[in-house]
Amino acid sequence: MALLEAHHIHKRFGDQVVLENITLAFEENRLNGIMGPNGAGKTTCFNVLTGRYKPDRGRIVFDGEDIGGLPPHKIARKGIARSFQLMNLFDQYTAIENITLALPEVRARGMSMMHDLSTDGETGDKAAGILARIGLAGKERVEARDLSYGERRALEIGVALAAAPRILFLDEPTAGLGAEATGSIAELIAEIRRDLTIVIIEHDMQFLFGLADKITVIHWGQVIAEGTPASLQEDEWVKRSSLGGLA
Amino acid sequence: MSAPLLAVDGLVKEYRMGVFKPKTTFRIEADFTIEKPTVIGVMGPNGSGKTTLFELMTGSNAPTAGRVMCAGQNIHRVKTGERDRLAIHYHQSYQVRHFDRSRPDFMLEKAKSDYPLIHLFDEPQFNTQDGYIGFMLNFFRKLRAEERLVFICLHPTETYHIELLNDVCEQFIFVHHGTLTHADSLPTLAADPRFQDYLGNLVTAVA
Repeated sequence: MALLEAHHIHKRFGDQVVLENITLAFEENRLNGIMGPNGAGKTTCFNVLTGRYKPDRGRIVFDGEDIGGLPPHKIARKGIARSFQLMNLFDQYTAIENITLALPEVRARGMSMMHDLSTDGETGDKAAGILARIGLAGKERVEARDLSYGERRALEIGVALAAAPRILFLDEPTAGLGAEATGSIAELIAEIRRDLTIVIIEHDMQFLFGLADKITVIHWGQVIAEGTPASLQEDEWVKRSSLGGLA
Repeated sequence: MSAPLLAVDGLVKEYRMGVFKPKTTFRIEADFTIEKPTVIGVMGPNGSGKTTLFELMTGSNAPTAGRVMCAGQNIHRVKTGERDRLAIHYHQSYQVRHFDRSRPDFMLEKAKSDYPLIHLFDEPQFNTQDGYIGFMLNFFRKLRAEERLVFICLHPTETYHIELLNDVCEQFIFVHHGTLTHADSLPTLAADPRFQDYLGNLVTAVA
């Protein structure tokens, strides 16, 4: 059984069908890509999988348990973490403070412990370890607002990792990034993927083709294609268009 | 014998202007039956009535006369919120539906299908910059294999548009001034001077 499965998900907003009969499965320790053109329903799909929206129909099963309809915080506690397309950092706090704040043991103590966040040996070490893992070693004391855009994206992933999730959802991690920063994020993801199940929404096809074990293509709120990057790229029309043969 | 997937039965939509001396500003007529799952290419100049035809077939626009039967159900007699279980209209990447609510939903019947039987793709974006064309064409074929009827409305402006229509479509409809012409292949359609005129230079790609 896959770690997370969605069966026949339907979602509509008023008269508009946004997701039509979506079935997905994410195997443990695999990197799964979801791609599709703008307006295809990718983000809604993400929001349903991570509990922000309740599906109108269908089941979501995580590690054998039906989690459809659970509130987001309960879903998060089960080991499902996500980063957002819009950034979600505390700007006036340093990189290490942002990570520390997201550690489960610190969260459990509450925000009042904020003043000694980084001085606490064990949590400090743990946070520093996560920063190193996402390539931000040496930036511990830099406030989030002073980091570059690409570094902020990396820090966001670090914040999601701090919760020690079993599955990590990343919503357009390369949005707004140039080629170089996109390369750094790809390296970061290659580094963290080893013992983690990851689901990435992305419309940068080349980025996903280079990283993912499996790709699901969503369009018109439906799964229109699915497979390994190699199998998807075998299609004659895909070859022609990505090689510029149609331009 | 089961009902055909789609029967467009004496369908007329007329738009009129003026109160005392009403004048018809636009009129579209259609009468055809599609028995089995098929992929159908729909072409025609802007304003010829392609989108009106799609709206009539999905029940979001009420006909002046005639009816649209989807697998034996008159789509205009089905609850508005369930009409997309019979026929769904995709406008580019998302679906649009604004229903003419002529009578309350409780007076209408339930759709007998759980998943759209007829899929109408209104000018899908076939972008040459990415690989989606291949996925989209395979999806149309997959729907057909799952016993669905697929309409692809496309206004060909590039040679590869003709190629992909040839690749995936088994039948064609050319809409011109509210009149439909049906054909089994593009070369057959290309014998029609109005279609030649519509395609312009691209007509050479059809032969």
